[in-house]
Amino acid sequence: MKESKAYIETGILELYVLGQLNVREQKEVEQMAADFPEIREEINAIEIAMEMYAISHAIEPTLGLEKQIFEEISKLSSKSNSDQDFKKESNSNHISSGSINSGQTETAKIIPLKQDHSVSTIRSLRFALVACIGLLMMSVVALYGAHDKLSEANAQIASLNNQRERFAATVSYMKDENKDLQEIASISGDPTWTSVKLAGTAISPQAKMMVYWHKSGQHVMVDNTRMSLPQNDASHQYQLWAIVNGKPVDLGVFNADAQPKKLLVAMKEVAAAQAFAVTLEKRGGSTAPTMEKMVVQGVVSI
Amino acid sequence: MAATKKISLTEEDLVHALKGKETIAIQALYDMYSGALLGVISRIIPHQEVAEDLLQETFIKIWNSADHYDSSKGRLFTWMINVARNLSIDKLRSKDFRNATKNQDIENNVDFIDSQRKITFNADTLGLRDMVTALKPEFNDVLNMVYFKGYTHVEAAEELNLPLGTVKTRIRMAIMELRKHFN
Repeated sequence: MKESKAYIETGILELYVLGQLNVREQKEVEQMAADFPEIREEINAIEIAMEMYAISHAIEPTLGLEKQIFEEISKLSSKSNSDQDFKKESNSNHISSGSINSGQTETAKIIPLKQDHSVSTIRSLRFALVACIGLLMMSVVALYGAHDKLSEANAQIASLNNQRERFAATVSYMKDENKDLQEIASISGDPTWTSVKLAGTAISPQAKMMVYWHKSGQHVMVDNTRMSLPQNDASHQYQLWAIVNGKPVDLGVFNADAQPKKLLVAMKEVAAAQAFAVTLEKRGGSTAPTMEKMVVQGVVSI
Repeated sequence: MAATKKISLTEEDLVHALKGKETIAIQALYDMYSGALLGVISRIIPHQEVAEDLLQETFIKIWNSADHYDSSKGRLFTWMINVARNLSIDKLRSKDFRNATKNQDIENNVDFIDSQRKITFNADTLGLRDMVTALKPEFNDVLNMVYFKGYTHVEAAEELNLPLGTVKTRIRMAIMELRKHFN
């Protein structure tokens, strides 16, 4: 009794349960357990404590693992009949209950496990491939959609650009027009400018227009806002003449458009003029006026 | 846990069925102990896939080596735990595993596992962790090094720079505390 108590207190039984003893020490403990029931009991109690300790640290395995293990074992058990002789032989290669060195035996049995593992790897790779193809197809569709949207956006940008250019042109035209209007306003209020009203002749009694003449500066301007001449065609243009000492002097050609490009048109300069007249001439003008085609004329008032 | 569906047999019946190569024995052992075995394996090998492969190897080894189990030498579950621990320690010390996990600090296995995986506590043992942590840590550390980290008690003594006798005493004290708790 005393012997067994001292033996228990050495702590060797704990090491036995933990698999820390060599084969000789294990045999010794097993002999002691067989001889002393209290040692047998002590070992049992230590084992239960360690088992509870392990259970308290349990981790649930993945769900499919159970099936995989059972399949593996049913394969082994169906083979076991033919392996019976081999097994009997390998039994002599005894595995003690707690030896660390016992892990090396029967490794050959584990080979099917690895094969199985590669099969599942191939299966998951196959799934990955299918998933990749699916993703690729989705990407292509998305890319196509994006391409559509992009060309739509490009068209919109082009049309907006076009609009912007037209708007800018309009603004610049309006600026010019505004400048011309201001000039017209300043001309009519400026005594150094002479306004000459040209009235219709026998061939076009409705026609009339206004010419501004700056005597000292010799400038001559045609006011498109106050012009009422029949529209000229593409092969003809109106030509302005100054009557200087009874002789006509060419002052250049102009057009009578429904939508004039400029409100105020500068003509050639003239120093002294008693009257102004306009004739319809061939495009580009003539050296001498065609008197029967004179549409308006007006005398400079002094 | 669907307790009603799980198979549970007495140890004597289990041993008999296992030695008779009845597959129901493996199913019962799986239902009763797979979680606990994976818990032990995972603390030695903190890598889920490898640990589950080792759990499979463990059950195959239990199946193949059932003839070698001698109930006069110890309890069945303790024998199973030692099969699992030995396979795990062999794996831990194998070259290919060492190469694959060079960058992982093996010292931190227990904490790493506990933070990565949910532990399925047995209702009966709830509060054990508090109890164990309340234990003098130096006693418990030695037990955990040997039980959960794959150290031999000799290696643990070297690692902690303690006499072998002190290591043995501490292991004994830690297990005594566990026994007190479970009784």
